[in-house]
Amino acid sequence: MFYKFLGISISFLCPALNAEIIGEYSFDNRYFFNSGLQGQEKNHSSFTLSPEIFLEKENSIFHFKPKFRKDNIDTERNLVDVQELYLINILEDKEIKYGVSKEFWGVTETTHRVDIINQTDAVESLDGEDKLGQPMVKLSFEENWGLLDFYALLGFRERTFSGYEGRLRQTMIVDSDRPHYLSAAKNKRMDFALRWSNYFDQLEVAISHFSGTSREPRFIVSNKNLKELVPLYEVIDQTGFEFQYLLGSLAIKSEIISRSGQEDRFTAATYGFEYTQVGIFGSRLDLGWIVEANHDDRLPSSPAVIGTRLTINDTSDTQILSGIIYDEKSEELGFLLEASSRLGICCSISIEGFYFDDTNEDNEEFKLFQAYKEDDFLRFELTYYLGD
Amino acid sequence: MSLVNLGKKIFIFSAIVLSVSNPTYANDALKIAILSDQNNSGFIDSSSDMTMNLINRKGDVVTRKLRFKRLEVPGDGDKSIAVFESPRDVKGVAILSYAHKVKSDDQWLYLPALKRVKRIASKNKSGPFLGSEFSFEDFSFQEVEKYEYKFIGEEDYLNLKCFIIERTPIDPYSGYTKQLVWIDQENYLIHKIHLFDRKSFHLKTQKFEEYKLYEGFFWQPHKVEMINHQNGKSSILLFENVKLNSGFTDRDFTQNSLKRSR
Repeated sequence: MFYKFLGISISFLCPALNAEIIGEYSFDNRYFFNSGLQGQEKNHSSFTLSPEIFLEKENSIFHFKPKFRKDNIDTERNLVDVQELYLINILEDKEIKYGVSKEFWGVTETTHRVDIINQTDAVESLDGEDKLGQPMVKLSFEENWGLLDFYALLGFRERTFSGYEGRLRQTMIVDSDRPHYLSAAKNKRMDFALRWSNYFDQLEVAISHFSGTSREPRFIVSNKNLKELVPLYEVIDQTGFEFQYLLGSLAIKSEIISRSGQEDRFTAATYGFEYTQVGIFGSRLDLGWIVEANHDDRLPSSPAVIGTRLTINDTSDTQILSGIIYDEKSEELGFLLEASSRLGICCSISIEGFYFDDTNEDNEEFKLFQAYKEDDFLRFELTYYLGD
Repeated sequence: MSLVNLGKKIFIFSAIVLSVSNPTYANDALKIAILSDQNNSGFIDSSSDMTMNLINRKGDVVTRKLRFKRLEVPGDGDKSIAVFESPRDVKGVAILSYAHKVKSDDQWLYLPALKRVKRIASKNKSGPFLGSEFSFEDFSFQEVEKYEYKFIGEEDYLNLKCFIIERTPIDPYSGYTKQLVWIDQENYLIHKIHLFDRKSFHLKTQKFEEYKLYEGFFWQPHKVEMINHQNGKSSILLFENVKLNSGFTDRDFTQNSLKRSR
């Protein structure tokens, strides 16, 4: 109510301006079935608040969205971030965005190889889809030949890592306060990126290039404490290719990257398909199948994912996503469950679960989930939407 | 008389008429469809606010709000953007559609939480739209070329002399085997459609009410109701703030405009 009033007041004071204030307040609780490998607690909860302000005038848009997160156990999971603080100018043949924002690139569902503009807020969730705001100037052209975006990325955001008390972390702690940069400009380096995308009937393609500080660090042992790691942010060049072809209800997808700057040039890819069965067994339920395989030159093997997305199509928009991750070489297995539904008009709930299983402990191959083996968890999240 | 019974009676009635029909009738049906379609073309662009009320068997109502704008494309289907206003958890989600006369439509979904634009398979159009009794297919534009037509007969409906035509979707992915359409003989407006599912069962009835004339040629129903005879639920779509000719161009229906269309 208050937010609506404030929005109307802004519109009243400046009639040409269309103002709106909304926001989200969420509580989340993660329960881990076992104590951590380093003795961490079983129960972790956090609060997140992210209000949003939009101001809109003919041919300009202003958007501000901060995000605050408070964790009851791991102080490294506390966050104050500007997710969006930008101005868009819409001109006759182009669009210019100045400020902090988020940009998504890619087509696949389980791994996002090509997506590189924003740093990952890795402590928020396992899927890596939560990002930190990136300062930028973006110039965008959209014509018959496709969509062409140029980015000047002003400054660098460090990845978030769990602290001593945090769960779902590597065995050695990452000291994120003393990152090591290869560029003399450290986190002030200006990075550049561009992406072209277009569609031809049922085919969607995109080609992108990024030149700048790697969002994904490598790690070196800290010289101050041999039990700690320090993130090493190198300067990389990464070319990305995205492909999606629709064949009826089947979407065939692929993302490939080639990166240089972190020792040898390497290639990594995610490829697979998504298939949707509408109205299974004569009901109003839709069942989607997601199958994706991975390849990464840096790893001895990469896991494959088989998932299903059940859409109930009820008035609460209930969805249940479940998946199995399997690595053939290490014989490790992971089960994922994600269910979400709306509660009334104010709220939504979601439940997420993850279970790791090393099916063959005698297997001496490189174990991908070794550090997570005590981290099976169930997460409950309640989100309240602010505004009217 | 329940609607199901009415539907059955009409179905039987139409079967009788059909058995005595001759080839010229198919031609008449197409003519009626073309005349009817003209009520809904030539507007250049339009925009409106929509409220959708989902009503369950007990009469409980859940409300959704959308903003909608569309642009006519000469020689092809329309371009449109639908933006969800409520419920709050889907606020800002938007769909960009390029409808085509014969080949399948192109559709992109924008997810504001991820800032992701996702191309979606338009073949999945027989599924429910936003948990309502409308499917994506009911929601898209009814291009004349998307059906084959057959003349069924004439009948009075709501004190209006109506033609009844049967149309069969050409798209094999359609959720319907056929539709019976009541079109009045004065203005050629669609007043009622009986929708038959893949088992040829009269699944739903769609009613178009509160027509208003804009600019002397464009007829817009302000209330569209969809009744599902199988589950007893219904959905009502109400239109407000209908505007024509706002000066939209192709640039208002691109991926960039989809991303900022909230």
